[in-house]
Amino acid sequence: MDGTAEGQTHTLVLAMDYRVPDPSRVWPVLQRSKPSLVDLGAHYVLVYASTRDPGRVMVTISLHSKEPVLEVLRSRAFLNWFDAVGLDDIPAIFAGETVDKVTLVEAPEGTAPGVIVGAFAAITDVPSLIAGVHNGLDRFAAAGVRAVRIFQAFDDQHELLILQELDDEADAVAWVDHPDVAAEWMGRTGVGAYPPVFVGRLQHIMRLDENA
Amino acid sequence: MFVCLCNGVTSQVVADAVEAGATTTKKVASACGAGAECGRCRRTVRAIIEAAGTIVDAKGN
Repeated sequence: MDGTAEGQTHTLVLAMDYRVPDPSRVWPVLQRSKPSLVDLGAHYVLVYASTRDPGRVMVTISLHSKEPVLEVLRSRAFLNWFDAVGLDDIPAIFAGETVDKVTLVEAPEGTAPGVIVGAFAAITDVPSLIAGVHNGLDRFAAAGVRAVRIFQAFDDQHELLILQELDDEADAVAWVDHPDVAAEWMGRTGVGAYPPVFVGRLQHIMRLDENA
Repeated sequence: MFVCLCNGVTSQVVADAVEAGATTTKKVASACGAGAECGRCRRTVRAIIEAAGTIVDAKGN
């Protein structure tokens, strides 16, 4: 399922988008969970808070693991985190790897992080989509897009998570309302297991030393 | 997307079960195991059923 041989270390990104009664509880729970995150092989944890939907957060975890994805996800840690923030219904979890990363604008040091627009979507022709993004980078930059990162799911080669960083909220809203023709994923969200487009800002980042 | 963490069931597997005729969360659980353990993924299972245009019974099961 993850394309790696048993026992081989592989890098994966987990992403989950969910609503909680009190989003401020998410970060302390993750901080208290450092030992279990280290056990999972996590090296980065990022928490984004929606700027449009109160209570909605997106958490991404990058990790190195020798365990198959399924074993990682079956860790009791995930249910413990959801329990600790008062979540009864658990969200679907994306598990995949980076397949494309483009930085259009290197923000000068000290510049505030941009606004993140995240989309989970099923795409028929992924190589064609990536080519379309690269062909449209000038238009993306003109729309205020600083960076695009595309992740492909291990369990479904048509399933993508696309994270776009934009300069500010106004650009993000304009992008959501009128995305570029190459950003076909924007119209394929909010269906089935896929949540609607996420618009938010990075709230917290945790870097973990795997040898800690 | 991994929908059911207990049984490691993905949204694609759930969608396949729905396409094969599982039109309620109980039928999906029987068909592929999603939601058969703790049941906390049933909201997502229900969303997949609804996305497929099938009819969910009045109880949402």
